[in-house]
This record gives sequence, C-alpha cells and structure tokens, in this order.
Amino acid sequence: MAAARVRRVAGAIGLRLGGAVLVVWGAATLAFLAIYLTPGDPAYAVVGGTDANPSPAVLAQIRAEYGFDQPWYVQYGSYLWRLAHGDLGTSYRLREPVATAIGQQLGGTVQLALAAGLLAVVLAIVVALLTAHRRPWIRGVSSSADLVLASMPSFWLGILLLSAFSYGLHLLPAIGNRGWQSLVLPAVTLALPLAAVLTQVLRNALEEVLEEPFITSARARGLSDTAVRLRHAMRHALIPLATMTGYLLGGLLGGTVVTETLFSRQGLGRLLLTAVNGKDLPVVIAIVVLSAVVYMVVNLAIDLVYPLIDPRLRRLA
Amino acid sequence: MTDERVRNVTRLRSRHSWAMALAIPAILAMSACAGTASAGQAEKSGAIVRNGSLTLGTNGQEPPCIAPAENAGLNGPELSRPLTDSVVYENPKTHELEPWLATKWAVSADGLTYTFTLRKGVTFSDGTPWNAEAFKANLDYIVDPATKSPMSASYIAPYESSTVVDPYSLTVKLSTPYSAFLRVLAQGFFGMVSPKQIADAPADICAAPIGTGPFTLVKWTKGQSVEYVRNDAYNWGPPGTHTGAAYLKHYTVLFLGEDSTRYNALASGQVDVVDWVPAQNIHAARQDPSLSVLSLTTPGHPFSWWLNTARAPFNDLKVRQALLTGIDRAEIVNSVLFGEYKTATGYLTSSTLDYSKNTIAHSVKKANALLDEAGWGTRDSDGYRTKDGKRLTAQLPTSNAIAYRVQIAEQVQAQAKKLGIDIEISYPTSQELSQDALDGNYDISAGIWGTNTPDILWLRYSSKNITTADRIGLNVARLRDDTVDSLLQQARETTDAAQQAALYGKAQTRLIDLAPAIPFFDDQRVVAFDTAKVHGLSLETAYPAPYVFDAWTSEG
Repeated sequence: MAAARVRRVAGAIGLRLGGAVLVVWGAATLAFLAIYLTPGDPAYAVVGGTDANPSPAVLAQIRAEYGFDQPWYVQYGSYLWRLAHGDLGTSYRLREPVATAIGQQLGGTVQLALAAGLLAVVLAIVVALLTAHRRPWIRGVSSSADLVLASMPSFWLGILLLSAFSYGLHLLPAIGNRGWQSLVLPAVTLALPLAAVLTQVLRNALEEVLEEPFITSARARGLSDTAVRLRHAMRHALIPLATMTGYLLGGLLGGTVVTETLFSRQGLGRLLLTAVNGKDLPVVIAIVVLSAVVYMVVNLAIDLVYPLIDPRLRRLA
Repeated sequence: MTDERVRNVTRLRSRHSWAMALAIPAILAMSACAGTASAGQAEKSGAIVRNGSLTLGTNGQEPPCIAPAENAGLNGPELSRPLTDSVVYENPKTHELEPWLATKWAVSADGLTYTFTLRKGVTFSDGTPWNAEAFKANLDYIVDPATKSPMSASYIAPYESSTVVDPYSLTVKLSTPYSAFLRVLAQGFFGMVSPKQIADAPADICAAPIGTGPFTLVKWTKGQSVEYVRNDAYNWGPPGTHTGAAYLKHYTVLFLGEDSTRYNALASGQVDVVDWVPAQNIHAARQDPSLSVLSLTTPGHPFSWWLNTARAPFNDLKVRQALLTGIDRAEIVNSVLFGEYKTATGYLTSSTLDYSKNTIAHSVKKANALLDEAGWGTRDSDGYRTKDGKRLTAQLPTSNAIAYRVQIAEQVQAQAKKLGIDIEISYPTSQELSQDALDGNYDISAGIWGTNTPDILWLRYSSKNITTADRIGLNVARLRDDTVDSLLQQARETTDAAQQAALYGKAQTRLIDLAPAIPFFDDQRVVAFDTAKVHGLSLETAYPAPYVFDAWTSEG
C-alpha cells in the first residue's frame, strides 16, 4: 500500500519534471524562432541599429564572433547545447554573461512581484469578505471599482499615484530601487489591477458558497456572520482564489515592464524589452526560459496547496 | 549621430492633462512649499562650495557600454565625459578647437599627416601616464574591428597609422585628407582610455573605462544609475575652466525614461538637474523662478524626412520639390514642439560649422504647379493625384515610440493630402525598420543626426554612402549628384578653412535645389536645474552633454 503510494507520487513527479523539460525546450525554441524570424540584420542590431554607423570591418567581426554567418540550425543547435549545459551565454549587446545581466536585474523584479502579489491577495481577501453578499449598493460600488481598476492601464494608474503621493504630497519617492519607500508606489500600481481581478473571483466564489445549505445550517447553529464567512465560506472559496493567484503571479516576472519603466526601476521587464529590440537572442531566451520555470514552480506550489485547503483532494490524490 | 530619442519630446497631452487635473490641489500645495524654499536661499554668496553632490536625471537611453568608442548612444558622451578627456576641446562659445590633452598640433599641406604635441603631467586614474604611446594605443583600439565600435571607428575611417616621435609627440597618418578629423576628436565619443586597460583588460572597457577625467566610476547600476566620485589628482581641465580637481565630490546620473516622471522629479526636488527637458515642459521650466534652463542647438543634421530618390515617386525632382515647398513646415514644427524648436532652414542645423542660411519658401500654389508639370495632373475620387491610373503614394515606415515623430507624420499627411499626395504611414518594429532601411524599402525615412562637423553632409548625401550589399551608408535619400559629390569631397579634403566654408555653402544651396529631404527642425538639447542649489553647470557643445567639472552645489 505504502510502496504503491510512493510509486504513484514518484511517477507524478517524474511526469512533472518531464513536462518541465518540454516546456523549457518549447519556450527556448519559440523565443529563438520569434527573434530569428523577425526581419533585421542581427549584427547591425548588436551595434545599435539605425543609431549607429558601423564600418564594414566591425560588422564582419560581429558576424564571425557571434556565428551569425552560420545557418539557422547550427545557431539553434548551439543555443540548445549550451542551454542544456546550464550556460546562458553572453549578451550580444551588453558584452557580459547573460547570468550576470539577469542577476543584476532579478532582485528588483522579484521584490516588486512579491510585494505586489502579497498586497493583491491580502486586498482581495479583505475586500471580498467585506462585500460578498451584502446590500446591492455595497456590492455595486465594490464591483464597479474592481471593473475600473482591472481595466485601467497600469501606466495611467501609476501616473495618478505618482501625481498624488510623490509630486503632490511628497510622501514617497517617484524613482529608483532604494528602500521600502521606493517600492510602495510601484507595488501598489502593479497590485491594484491584480487585486481587482482576484476580488471578483473570490467574491463570486464566496457568494456561491454563502447560498449553500450548510451555511444556513451554520447560521441556524447561532454562528455570527463573521465566523460564517471566515471559517466556512472562506475555506471553500480559497480554491478558485489559489488557482487565479497562481496564474497571475506566474505571469508577473515578465509583466512588470510598464511599472518598471514608469518608476525608473531596475528590472527584468526593461532588460527584456531592450533585448528584444536589440535582437539580443541569449538574453531573450534566458528570460523567457526563466519566466517559464517560474510559472511552472508557482503553479506546482499551488497544486501542492490544494490538498491543504480541501481535504477531499487529499483522498483523491 | 543617433536616431532614437524615444519619448523624449512630446508625450500625449491628453493623458498628461488628465493626470494633472487630478493632481492640481496637491501640486498647488507643492509649489507653495517650493516658493518658500527658494526664497530662503536667495542669498547667493558667490563663494564656491566644495565637496557637494549632484544628481542628474537623464532619459532612458542607457547605452550598452559607457566606453566612449564602444557606444553610439545619445547619452554616451554624457556618461563617459566625467571619466575621460579628449585630445582637443571645442570652445562652447566660439566653436574653435583648443588644446586639451594635446597642447598643439600641425597638419601637413596635403592634409594627410597630423603631428600632435601632448600635454605633460597627465595620468589616467590607474596611474598610467598619458603620452604618445597612450594616444597611439587609443587610435589603434578605436579602429580595431574587435573593439566593435559602432560609430567612432567610422568617424575616423581615414586613420591609417601613427608613429611615436618622442614620448609627447605623435604623428598620425591618414589614407585620404579628412578635414573633419580634428573636430570629431573633440566629441565625447573620443575620450581617451588607459592604454594599460586596452592592453590588459579590453573586455572591461565597455562597462568601466579608465580615463584621465575629473571623476572616476564608483558603480554602474544597470537600468538605474551611474555613480561617480571625484578624481582628486585631476588638474587638466580644458581652457576656460577652473584649475585643480572638480568641485563636486559625488555625481550621480539616473535613467528616468518617462518624460513626465523625469520632469516632475526635478519639479518635486527629487533630482537637482534634468536632461532632455520634454518640449511641453520647457516653457513651464523657464517660467518657474526656482528652475533655470540651459539649452543649445545640436550641431549636425536637422530632424528630417529623407526622400528615397532611387525609386518612384521621389526619383522625380519635381515631386520632391513639390513636397518640400508645399508643406508648411513652420506651422507643423511650432504646433508639435510647442514653439520651442526652430524650423530648419536647410540640411545643417544653425549651430553647425559652415552653416549657411538659406530659405525654403512655402507655397502651395508652386507645389501644385510642380506636380502638374510632373504629369500628376489628374485626381481620383479621393482627391489624390494620379498618373496613368496610378495614385501618387509615398510609404513612410517609422517609429511610433517617439511621439513628436508620429505627430509630425500625421500633420504632414494631412497637408500632403491637400496637395494630392497620399502618404501612407506604418509603424513596423525597430528591427523591421532597420531592415527596410537596408533594403531601400521605403519612400520616406525619418531621422536626425548630431555631430559637430559639416562632414555630416558627405555622410548623408555623397553617393559613396548609399547602402550596398557590403556597406551600410547613411545616404538614405540614395542621392546621386555629381555636383554634390564633388563639392562635398573637395570640402572634406581641403585644409583651407575659408575654402571649406565656401564649398559647404555651395553644397547647401545645391542640396536645397535637389530636395533630397524635408528638414523639419534644429534639435535642441535642453537641461533644467534647481537654481538655488546648482551652480556652474554648462553644456558641452562638441557632442552636446551636461558638463559638470565646473559645477558645485550649495547644499550637502
């Protein structure tokens, strides 16, 4: 019995790992093709595109050094080979190892994504618990606010926050990566639209649960409304919240570019943007692969959380 | 050089005013505070304060390398100048070349040999002495293909070799006479780096060049800032600057890519200086009593639309002339750039050496007559001119990352429609744009180029610089004109300044007759700073950039 269970778990993990390798390979291949197939001479892009006036000798040097004179399958093969060995290569544009380039920018993005993710989840739980199944006008106000925030361009939201809290009230810095103060406005800018989506999901789930017969019976036992919401309804509604959170957080790593640009923060989003524009293939592939890995890890973690939330899933597993 | 001035001019006004409307009460409160602060500091003693620190916010155009010769970026000289000095100095007022790391120089009668006498007592910040060996090492390193210089190497393409005559004297040989040689050396793209670094650690030069400059590099935090600290040994500032080391102890450049963020960072006191003041904020900055504004007209080629003379419809001179005269350029420039930029009068900006003032008259009537003469006399149901059943259409692939370019394109499109010319604007990715440029797949190509020599005309209009299979050239108009070729070649080769000016004068007039481009405006470099705190700041002109060696700050 125990042995069978271990085998089953090991099998599931093996399947996951195999899937992970496939996803990484797929992501790397798609990134390679996307960059390779966009028109534009990569040698020219490396030295600055239309900004530059490189001599023929310089272009020849770059083509030979980076292998641009090789056919596409040789270039593709050598990328995969190096990637399989954990070598992310050297950035064409920045002339430094890709790992170093990403390492410099990763901290800022991780900080921002975690802060925004945490804030979004907390906000969503608080707002949804307070507004689910309430009087129509409360619901109406809250769900309109969700709709506005979820559909508002984060660029604009950021400018509003900056105008009020930084340029106006001088409470928080508008720029940079230093200290918690400089994290507040970007994190809020990134978190509000996420929180809006999560609130909608959670509120709908809560409202469905609050219609269930067991809630009526809990109330009949004399439980207060707060206890009903926190102890009974919330537990049921957490599953869709967890799913949606995983989906949104997984995408955050590459989704911070607008916020990073507006607040002049270091980060992967901006690195990716300049790399795509500069046809900096090694950097693009590395960031895409990293995003894919993070996405898988976050969703794996969410999968592991499900049985903790819902004991029924434990029995099924 | 340089084309991409992403977002540094106009931002969409509608969004801006929205945000501002919401923030008005807060901003009123803020300006009240700023008012009292500047009043409190009104007593400017005039005594220079040393050891201060200065923070400057520039735009988001962060080059991949700081090394002078390894980048072609708009902000390259701004970042490399604190670390490096040039061999010659362009006087910002007279534009004459003056001694810097070279004390004097002589040019042979044939223009092929330059002999430099170098300044003594100068050292790089790694202790290596500046001398003829060091200069030679730099020239050889710049043109070495392994350096992958995106622009500097092309600027000194005629450089052949150099010979050390004695420790402080170098003879440089050119393969062809090149009158712009000395002048380009004054640009920040030609700051000298340590020969020891060139020999021992060339890979490190990109991110951390070691120079003889008034500052040394503390840290480049990519995507965010570059921090500098004073080089206490420095005692070789260019003519007209103070003696000894820089006044500032610390200097920091921040990359603030968003126009509104950058300007508001200054207005709210989060930085001391901002570079690339957006056109829509220039007026406000001049009016604000707590701010001061420095500006200069960038030498080089105005922002222009180059017309592809190698294919229809702009292979027809009359069609080019019709567009050039039929568009009200001044009206467009004034409305898009808030009246802050001067409308171009030709193919050199007014601050470029040997600029000659011409006039390009605006006449819709003349434009229509020219188009009729060119055989485009009939119009289709949409009002566009036709010839043999084909509509008069011109393709403009351009970048939509730069708001002013989009606005200019749309306004010209509207005016051209009245003339009966259909301008089709498209916004491909930057890579497709480069490829279109290489393939000649465009009728109109938009761009700008800053450099301190009239030789930009040779780069832009000599038939030698038309892109071919083995050479990328800047003559995107693909102009082939024997007169222009000969005038520009002679001007490039002559060593006589007066003759050179006459040749460039003739070339400029000839070019207007040929209408290979629609020049719109002379680019402005506008810097604003906190009047009470920042003193002694100036702009370098050889390649425009804030110059902080003489700057000091009155607090902290």
